[in-house]
Amino acid sequence: MRKFFRRSFFKNIFNKLIGKDKKLKIGLYGHPNSGKTTLANTMTSDWLGKPIGLISEIPHETRRVYRQEKVKIEYDGVELDFDIVDTPGIATKIDYKNFLEFGLSEEEAKERAKEATKGIIEAIKWLDDVTGVLLVVDATQDPLTQANITIMGNLEARKIPFVIVANKIDLPEASSERISSVFPQHTVVPVSALHGENTADLYQAMVEKFN
Amino acid sequence: MDSKESNALKMDFLSSDALKTRTGMEKISMIVDKVKDGDLVVIEGGLTPEEEADLIETTMREIDVENFMGIDIFTLETNKTSFFGLSKKKTIGITIIGPANVMKAVKKKSNFLSMIANLGDSGASLH
Repeated sequence: MRKFFRRSFFKNIFNKLIGKDKKLKIGLYGHPNSGKTTLANTMTSDWLGKPIGLISEIPHETRRVYRQEKVKIEYDGVELDFDIVDTPGIATKIDYKNFLEFGLSEEEAKERAKEATKGIIEAIKWLDDVTGVLLVVDATQDPLTQANITIMGNLEARKIPFVIVANKIDLPEASSERISSVFPQHTVVPVSALHGENTADLYQAMVEKFN
Repeated sequence: MDSKESNALKMDFLSSDALKTRTGMEKISMIVDKVKDGDLVVIEGGLTPEEEADLIETTMREIDVENFMGIDIFTLETNKTSFFGLSKKKTIGITIIGPANVMKAVKKKSNFLSMIANLGDSGASLH
């Protein structure tokens, strides 16, 4: 019974988020391993009853350096688009030599570097028609990174609503307070995407910010 | 490139007034051209986030994996007190933009920026 109420509660929130357009385009930005994919899976499980079905381990290790995934889910007349980008992907430099560390040949590394430059341009363009962005921050790490600052500056300038997700609060060393104190002007919601902890608060914040 | 020695670092300092007359794209093209030539550009004030995004995009288009790997941007901020001293706002005092392969190490504190420019066999440091 409790599960039923939980589902209908999330469905209600989802309907508010999706609005009349029946389309929701969410950018999940954050450092590698901050929990973006886990969060996307938790969201679609809560809203649509099924995970997004993303493979978290990319077969080619190097793809994790500048990872970007676009996922479109069409379900029950609604469209849900996710763009999952590692924030170092919004970088100002690409050195092909970084890819050599992953055992690629020089030729492959150069090709991969060229792909990465295109990915960065796409990631910037994608911001133009996004409903809102979730900036996923690993609460066990220092949040004050240049990548986080740059992305926030861009979101603010383009008036794109965003919520900072302080993820991994299930870990003892996590501190969402540290994130709130560094970014006091922004909405910070502590969650554990892995355990679905506090996600209702996150969805509520998304409804308030994204609409 | 000008008649520049390969182990020398050219630094261009641009006042905010000098940049005011240029459009966003002119500003970006000028910066990228200079940085691609191996120069370091020091700007009074900062770029707007839109200009920063344009700068990243232009840089990505100009990257040539063999010779130009991109740029590095560093800013030095100052606290600006406004509204009868009630609110404090950070504003960008200076922005340093240079080739990523030259700007090797940076130590940054709120009011201090230390940069090592790596010029192949020789080295230069800027504090």
